[in-house]
Amino acid sequence: MDALVKDLENFEKIFPVETANDTTEAMNVIDYILDHGHKIGLVLCDHVLPGKNGVDLLIELQKDEATAKSKKVLVTGQAGHEDTILAINKADLDHYVAKPWTEQELQEVVRDQLTDYVIENEKNLLAYMQILDAEKLSEEMRKHKMTDH
Amino acid sequence: MKTNSKDLVSILIGVIGFIIPFFLNIPGLSEAGHVALSIFIIAALFWMLEPVPIYATSIMVILLQVFFLSKQGVLFPEVTAEYSPDSYTEFMGTLANPIIILFLGGFVLADAAVKYDLDKNLTRILLKPFGSNPKFIILGLMVVTALLSAFMSNTATTAMMMTVILPIIAKTEASDPLRIGIALSIPFAANIGGIATPIGTPPNAVVIGALSNQGIDIAFTEWMILAGPLVVVVLFFTWLVILRMFKPETDTIPTDFEGKFQKNASAILVYVIFGATVLLWVTESLHGIGSSIIALIPVTVLALTGILDKDGIRQLPWEVLWLVAGGISLGISMESTGLAEWIITNIEWSIFSPVFMIIVFSLMAIVMSNFLSNTVSATLLIPLALSLATSGAAGEGFSLVLISLVIGVSASLAMMLPISTPPNAIAISTGTVKAKHMTRSGFVVGIFGLLMVTLYALFYWPIILN
Repeated sequence: MDALVKDLENFEKIFPVETANDTTEAMNVIDYILDHGHKIGLVLCDHVLPGKNGVDLLIELQKDEATAKSKKVLVTGQAGHEDTILAINKADLDHYVAKPWTEQELQEVVRDQLTDYVIENEKNLLAYMQILDAEKLSEEMRKHKMTDH
Repeated sequence: MKTNSKDLVSILIGVIGFIIPFFLNIPGLSEAGHVALSIFIIAALFWMLEPVPIYATSIMVILLQVFFLSKQGVLFPEVTAEYSPDSYTEFMGTLANPIIILFLGGFVLADAAVKYDLDKNLTRILLKPFGSNPKFIILGLMVVTALLSAFMSNTATTAMMMTVILPIIAKTEASDPLRIGIALSIPFAANIGGIATPIGTPPNAVVIGALSNQGIDIAFTEWMILAGPLVVVVLFFTWLVILRMFKPETDTIPTDFEGKFQKNASAILVYVIFGATVLLWVTESLHGIGSSIIALIPVTVLALTGILDKDGIRQLPWEVLWLVAGGISLGISMESTGLAEWIITNIEWSIFSPVFMIIVFSLMAIVMSNFLSNTVSATLLIPLALSLATSGAAGEGFSLVLISLVIGVSASLAMMLPISTPPNAIAISTGTVKAKHMTRSGFVVGIFGLLMVTLYALFYWPIILN
């Protein structure tokens, strides 16, 4: 967990990282974030969690309107066939990261997913140019008929 | 609707500003002029403080004029000695003013070009001859950006060029000033390139619209002949400034500009229409068909062929058209009520030389548009300049077209701050350029621009116009 947070510190300026050790804690953290008027861009979730299954958590988040648009990534070493299929079909899983991951790989996945998230959900893309995929964001702005005034 | 307390205060200030003239009796200003002053004040305050979007203010301006100043409005149903009210259709009609239709054509063409990646591929093809020397790559980037932004929006061009330069920047050393130079060259070239044609950028539309209300029609070609040479000189100078301030350390940049033109039937049709329309525009002086009439051709053909579909129509940047229409509309009543003339007759202009006034108007336009929208700056200044010229208060040598050009061109020469233009904001957002770099180089370009506008207004434009 600490390693994961450290790998993602580049994003913290705009996307603070919150962690949880099990699904109950995760739900509390998510509620806390949403209650304070913030949005959740990305959920990185292990498959095996104490208590509930990680895939079930993702499915639950997909059902909730407030987190349906959040990008969902499964980070796991041992998700079986069925769970993976379930995650894709029911939780609209966006990406799958196999353990052990490299720092670069994880950062790339997070950058891609968050870029997609802001393109789909945010209006002012300029704010994300420095941290996310600037080329992709520019391409999006080009297509969105930005105008002079 | 989200409003914070700052916005509420701005709205309050605007409304108070609107009410005040109703309780004043300003000598020398007609009753209708008082009302026009009210509308001018609330529009100017809203445009400057921006408690509401600038296009919303524009549409409000049209409504207020219809309500209070038109023949069908509540205050002036009769023609009197001091004010003969325009019909409400005059104000509403600005939404379909020929210059608005010209812009509509430009938008539709640009959209089609983007949809079929014509802009991207054209850029890559055009960049090839500039080789791999950083100096010439920057020149190439600037020339291509300026060329495209003359026909597309400066902002869309900048966004597209970012996709070209970001990979180049990624390949250079983090400490190389070249990165800053490249990142600055794009917004600057886009701002400058917009000056080159009537459809390049909205301030040009404000100028042309205002002049056409005076019965003066500027042909597409004529505008290009007037503004083009200035664009070339300022662009070249800006290149030198960038090279000097941000001297590249590396002497070669690996580039691979591969253009892959789409070859399906729709894409080819778009290329043909794009080429044909631009060709017809730039040859207006040969065939004499007005550019706004030509602008309807691509709109029609693209709609008939389904390339411009319902969604495409809905997504056109209508707010820019509203913005410009409101500006033109404001000019109408400022003229007809005598407000503009009253403002300028309060100053003894004849003691100033034409050169001085050209510099004053150019400087005002540059300063204002560094902080405000370029279109708004042009809109606020044009009516004053027009009455100054038509009233004869400024004496000989101060021609209507000349001073309008000065304002229109100068409004696009402001590029000192990230907020000056949307292209500047895009460049800053990449993090490669810092605001101080932009301010330093933008200042030099602005001063040079001011100098060039003055020289062109004194020596070149009069030759073309007479």
